Amino acid sequence: MAKLGRYLLAPILGALMGTSVFAQETMTDVGTPRSETLIVQTFDGKTANPDAMNPFNLYAIWRGFRELGWSFLWEMDTATGKSYPELAAGPVEVLNDAHTQFRIKLRPGVFWSDGVELTADDFIYTLDTASKYKDKFNFVAGYVNYVKSWKKVDNYTFEVETTNPAYDVQTVLGVYTWGSQFTPAPKHIFEKLGDGVVTFKNAPAVTLGPYKIKEFDPNGFWQLWELRDDWQRSGWGNSGEPKAKYVLYKDFGAEETRTLAFVQNQYDIDTFMSPDSIAAAKARNPLIESFSKTFPYHDMNDACSYGIYINQQKAPYDKAEVRWALALAVDLKTVGLSAVNGQFKAAALPLSDTPITNPVFYKPLDGFLQGLTLGDGYKPFDAGFGTQMVEALKAQGTAASELPTGDAVNQGFGAGWWKFDPAESEKLLASVGIKKGADGFYAMPDGSPWVIDLVFPSDWNKVMQRVGFSIADSWKKAGFNVNARQVDAGEHNTVGNTNSKFSLELQWNNTCVYNANWLNGWRSFNAGNVKPVDSADALSGNYLRVTDPAIFDLVAASAKLPPEDPQFTENGRSVVKKLVEGMQEINLMNIPTTIPTNSAYWTNYPKQDNFYAAPYTWWSSFKKTILNIKPTGKK
Amino acid sequence: MGALQYVIKRLGLYLAVVLIGLSITFLLPRFMPANPIEAYIGQLQSRANGTLTPEAIVSLRANLEELYGLKGDLFTQYLSYMKRVVLQFDFGPSFAFYPQPVNTMILRALPWTLGLLLVSTFIAWILGNLVGLVAGYFHTKRAASILELLGVLLYPIPYYILAVSLILLLAYVIPIFPLSPTFPVGQMTPAKFGMVIYNSLLPALTLVLAGFGWNILSMKALAVATTEEPYVTYARLKGASNWTRMIRYVFRNAMLPQVTALALSLGTVFNGALLTEILFSYPGVGLIMRTAASSGDYNVLYGAIAISIIAVATAGLIIDLIYPLLDPRIRRQ
Repeated sequence: MAKLGRYLLAPILGALMGTSVFAQETMTDVGTPRSETLIVQTFDGKTANPDAMNPFNLYAIWRGFRELGWSFLWEMDTATGKSYPELAAGPVEVLNDAHTQFRIKLRPGVFWSDGVELTADDFIYTLDTASKYKDKFNFVAGYVNYVKSWKKVDNYTFEVETTNPAYDVQTVLGVYTWGSQFTPAPKHIFEKLGDGVVTFKNAPAVTLGPYKIKEFDPNGFWQLWELRDDWQRSGWGNSGEPKAKYVLYKDFGAEETRTLAFVQNQYDIDTFMSPDSIAAAKARNPLIESFSKTFPYHDMNDACSYGIYINQQKAPYDKAEVRWALALAVDLKTVGLSAVNGQFKAAALPLSDTPITNPVFYKPLDGFLQGLTLGDGYKPFDAGFGTQMVEALKAQGTAASELPTGDAVNQGFGAGWWKFDPAESEKLLASVGIKKGADGFYAMPDGSPWVIDLVFPSDWNKVMQRVGFSIADSWKKAGFNVNARQVDAGEHNTVGNTNSKFSLELQWNNTCVYNANWLNGWRSFNAGNVKPVDSADALSGNYLRVTDPAIFDLVAASAKLPPEDPQFTENGRSVVKKLVEGMQEINLMNIPTTIPTNSAYWTNYPKQDNFYAAPYTWWSSFKKTILNIKPTGKK
Repeated sequence: MGALQYVIKRLGLYLAVVLIGLSITFLLPRFMPANPIEAYIGQLQSRANGTLTPEAIVSLRANLEELYGLKGDLFTQYLSYMKRVVLQFDFGPSFAFYPQPVNTMILRALPWTLGLLLVSTFIAWILGNLVGLVAGYFHTKRAASILELLGVLLYPIPYYILAVSLILLLAYVIPIFPLSPTFPVGQMTPAKFGMVIYNSLLPALTLVLAGFGWNILSMKALAVATTEEPYVTYARLKGASNWTRMIRYVFRNAMLPQVTALALSLGTVFNGALLTEILFSYPGVGLIMRTAASSGDYNVLYGAIAISIIAVATAGLIIDLIYPLLDPRIRRQ
């Protein structure tokens, strides 16, 4: 037996000895020096089309394209919410009073990775091609409908005319939050393809950013980027020297194996690891850190917020009293503690509460929230929510050193939320004829059963899945008969945009106001995006089902104002007030984004106390991280 | 019945199974609650920051129906689908990864799935049956009970638990295998092939251990029963050696149900692919099917399920055709 064992083990061990496992831990699996390689978990996991690198199509955005490969006219400073020029030489120039004609000047001396200079011809070609094949490409709709005409002025200047008066050219033809659809294509590569441009894969792509594609896995697990020798004349080479010579985007697989690999310092930045796994990893490796050292630990600065979207056109949800009753029956403290271990930031307004939105919306509307009174004189706002969270976590045994104090309480847990008051909820429901039946659940005014269909993501979004079940539990305890339904991404989308299928859903796609330019998130609030309550046709916006003409008027009026105009901001606040007064959406929390980092090989990642940019590796602003990280010197 | 008639009958049955399977495959995704076109437009609209006009959406919808093969009534779609699939073996483009052809996606992934799962299923079958045979033939010996214990211990462990335990043990505690493999790219060389084998060893070992236990227990039970048969007793009285009795008398007769089980398990390798691919970051059709199911990507589902149906039916056909070679009773019938 022993002899047999030796015979069996010898070739296996021989094979292993020949691999990098027993070699020095200085090289990555893809053959680059680990100390020069920044390794990040991919946002989109394993992709099925790794060779799809045509910027006119949707999938050429992940695995580093918009952060490292492409470059945009204007980029967003995610620390301040301000737009700044990248390929453009400066701000957009307005040419007429109607705000429909604009001149864009390019920064000379920017070159593609194959050595050809970027000129206005590339932008004109991109607009021509996107417009010609707009039904064939799936990542051009954001700008082909926005601009009506365009022309080259000289090699570094072109002009565009927009379809409607526009005040947001820099954030439509440039980056608003995570990237821009308007990605210039290299004319000298694409033009000769003719109609073939539609199916052109463009792999490996000629890039404009300071990195070029060195290799990619045809199975879709990883893509390796290498710093261009001429990075200084790339799209954002003027911003400074990128610190990593290589950047590897890799899917490290299921959370179980990802966590173990993270503990072994196999990669540097993760994405969406669950709080439980982060806690386990931190306990085993002190180099692993969450976004903040204190609660709620994680990044809360995403552009969107989680909320319960309500079909306000469908009875009984068409009554504000019912919507308020549902909001006051959500025990958000318990929901947050059970679903996300208390690691969340409450957001009462229908948008995230971030350092960028707070001074524009939350702070100015604090008085409104505190003074808000329902029809029966009840004041629903609870400004002490953050303090209660601190107390609850303390009672659960969380160390005081990990809990925020003073002003940091509201910065951590939000400026307040709605009271948990099932008695007031019952009162509001009674006012519209809804009372509990013999089974202990609320019934419709005519006595028929009322079952709330609450749809939320299954395990493709574990945070929302857990929040969904917790809310259903909260409502059940308050006497609501809830059918909690976890669904796949496809069904989630279909329910969310189809009136006939939709009652209540946990969503985020229509509560994405990132900065003062609130119109970018809410321009779909218009009568054209309202369909009959039983319609089986899909909506193309207005997923909150806003029907209030006053809101539509505010949106329409604001479209004719520059975002810097005080009236524009005031209109945005008025929209927010109306949404809140009618409880048109039960907004819950900022999206808790878990971006744990490992500082074995790199340090100076964006953190709560070092917030030079949003920490997301899949936003184009990740370029700031690339510019600011520092090697530790570990070989 | 002549041999030719037997083959023709089996082939006819095979074609009928495949056609019925393909028809059911066409219908099933249409009962899913997700609408791929609307899901896609929803994504686009969200990324277009609401700038898509209603007219643009109507035009996009019509265009997508055309591109996705969803134009016309259900029967028209069915005819077009069967024509494409049966005559051209073309499943069209993926909806979620448009314009990537489904065939490309599946053909890229299939060799990985087949390479890992077929090989590990065969190894598990051969090893399990050999151990089971020895344990069954010598069932009165204490050593045989130990072998049976191996099967009893392994068989009930859920695959997920077994896989995670092996990952923990062999990739984390004793890190001799990678936690997350990196398969080499470019032209295959002996060194790169070695890396592929090395990276596949841990998932293969897990699959072998997972399939091993059932084969031991099943073969052991069959071998015990066969050992008691009069023809085995007769062989012993005739003076045949233990080896001869075990291989020629017991194994050959106990093997038939095991061959059927092998055929069925070979046909269902796709079922086993998903967890393996998720846990071991292994490329293959399982993950493609999962993504397709969650995004309502009909065409990819058609492609993956159709190939699965063809694989199961073909495995059944092959077994039907080789059974007469293994069992003289069928040959005589």
